[in-house]
Amino acid sequence: MVEVSGYYCPNCLFEVPSASVRAEKNRCARNCFMCPNCQNTLTVVASDPPDNGETRTSPIVLSAVGEPPFFLYCNHCRWDSAEVDMTFEKPTGLAAQLQKFEDSAPEALEFERLKEHFEPFLRASPSSSTLPSSSHHHLNPITAAASSALARDIPGVVKYNPLTRSRSGRDRAAAKSEIPDYRARVEAGSSHGLASGSGGEVDVDFMKHLETAGEVASLEQRWVNSWTTSLHANDLKPLRIPLHSKKSKRCPSCRHILIKPEQKAQSVRFKIKLVAANYLPAITVSLPHARAAMEMIKRSSALNKSTSTAVAEEHAAAASGAMIAGKTYPFHLAFTNPLYDPIQVRLHVQRTLTPSSADGKQKAPFAVTLPSSAFPIAAFAEAWEYEDDEDMFGDEGDYDGARGTKDRDGRARPRTVGVLERRANVTVVGGEVVLGKEARGNIKVLQYAGNVYLPVGRP
Amino acid sequence: MDNPIYYARAEYIETDTGNKVSRRATIAGPQNIILGGKTIIASGAIIRGDLRRTGPGHAVVISLGRYCLVGEGCVMRPPYKTYRGNFNYYPMKIGDHVHIGSNTVVEAATIGNHVDIGKNCVIGKFTIIKDCAKIADGTIVPPNTVIPAMSLFAGSPAQFVEDLPESTQEMVEAYTKNYYTRFQPMPTER
Repeated sequence: MVEVSGYYCPNCLFEVPSASVRAEKNRCARNCFMCPNCQNTLTVVASDPPDNGETRTSPIVLSAVGEPPFFLYCNHCRWDSAEVDMTFEKPTGLAAQLQKFEDSAPEALEFERLKEHFEPFLRASPSSSTLPSSSHHHLNPITAAASSALARDIPGVVKYNPLTRSRSGRDRAAAKSEIPDYRARVEAGSSHGLASGSGGEVDVDFMKHLETAGEVASLEQRWVNSWTTSLHANDLKPLRIPLHSKKSKRCPSCRHILIKPEQKAQSVRFKIKLVAANYLPAITVSLPHARAAMEMIKRSSALNKSTSTAVAEEHAAAASGAMIAGKTYPFHLAFTNPLYDPIQVRLHVQRTLTPSSADGKQKAPFAVTLPSSAFPIAAFAEAWEYEDDEDMFGDEGDYDGARGTKDRDGRARPRTVGVLERRANVTVVGGEVVLGKEARGNIKVLQYAGNVYLPVGRP
Repeated sequence: MDNPIYYARAEYIETDTGNKVSRRATIAGPQNIILGGKTIIASGAIIRGDLRRTGPGHAVVISLGRYCLVGEGCVMRPPYKTYRGNFNYYPMKIGDHVHIGSNTVVEAATIGNHVDIGKNCVIGKFTIIKDCAKIADGTIVPPNTVIPAMSLFAGSPAQFVEDLPESTQEMVEAYTKNYYTRFQPMPTER
């Protein structure tokens, strides 16, 4: 379960208090705008100073921030807002300067009319005033504030509350029958001048005279607006940057807070931080044969000291380290124990379910063998507390085999599946993967981790 | 997990604070560059410490933190701006545990701690990258971008993809420390 713990603008990193979030419609209230062409952030630039012969050579700069009118400019695609005739008089407070344009947009006016239309009818029913009963459904003060603010604006939008239903059922039925039909201010579907081109004929003309596909605004650029806008890419207006939120997370079953970030917007510390990585062992996978091949190549190249064959080296390394279908490769899994107690790990391979094979008789393209007995991993402790470690080649478990010695160049003994090495708080386990003949692409490993605490020494 | 990353012993200079600088890296103006301890500068990297702002006294142009890695072929250049008719370079400040992938061009103004930058990226001028961010391989970050903390950015121009998990800081710290311990000179053969 995820709740919002704060909002911030991803561009100016300004922390927005949750009360003004709703007022600003979840957008940044300062000068942060998004380029309609490439979704990059826009910068405010001044127009070029007036160009007469003397100012070219004179060292006097006319003004520190440049000349008005200011407009927005994208660094990446070089779009600027003069193409849609958006200029500003001052370089700061751009959102305020745009405020009156936004308020007179057709969708805002339509929304105001809708609110005025429904207000008298919903105010008549008494259930709209019983707000406190619904607010206890909200655990988070932010959502409770948001919902009460919403209800204040649009009376009658109350959370469904079974207590009040029986009481005001009659009132609501009476009110519903009295609501007259709503006439929209602007008929939907008609082509009106502001969003030119939402009609049929104008669009067809535009399409007939298209020169490149880039002239039409793409779907991603248009669906952010709440109203249909014109299809021309030249008409796209810059949007204010939407705010990002910092989230806090709860356990879904017992509702204990797991993650609670700090109040400051950009700090990465947390007040409460219960992360699975602190309890589960860290797992890394490696292919020893690939590593050995890379080392051989690197050694030979370092001795030769030739850098021009770097590309050829990489290809050779990739070829020898790659996994060829139809063969068997051993791999190493290293488990690192983060806890201060020793843990036992048990591995289990789930037979892979081939996704949606049409005929159903297709075998899995690979099979993985892992040791299935439980193996312990020692506790985490400071470096000096470990005794001198011997490389133990796992003599417990069900694997007997001659404990051969490891040769100098790393040729392992015949056994490769099982606990290979136990050192500090890391245990390396070997497994084997058998590739079928039709195997292609990368091998993905899905893991499921379960954690069991066993009480020790109960009286 | 110890698969060591070997380098030719003669190629790298190791300082007393544990920094490992490749002789084949081009370091201009080394007196203006500060390396926190245990930082690795790989071969072919170009670090321009000579582009300092005009003014008297000792200036720090580029400062790196601890356990950083500047990949092969990287270019690190401080950003510049013309303001009120004056042209000036601005110092570049990079935090701890920052890995920069190979062949990346970095002109950012500030990079926070525990940042992971992929290879073949271009980071534009005056970019501000906050802590624990991750930039995917091949990203083009336009100038003056702000990359908020714990976010993953990819694409050209760099777009926000997703928020990173809360354990990112420990993972990156463990990875950079582990990388430094694995970065060993080649054991002498004969």
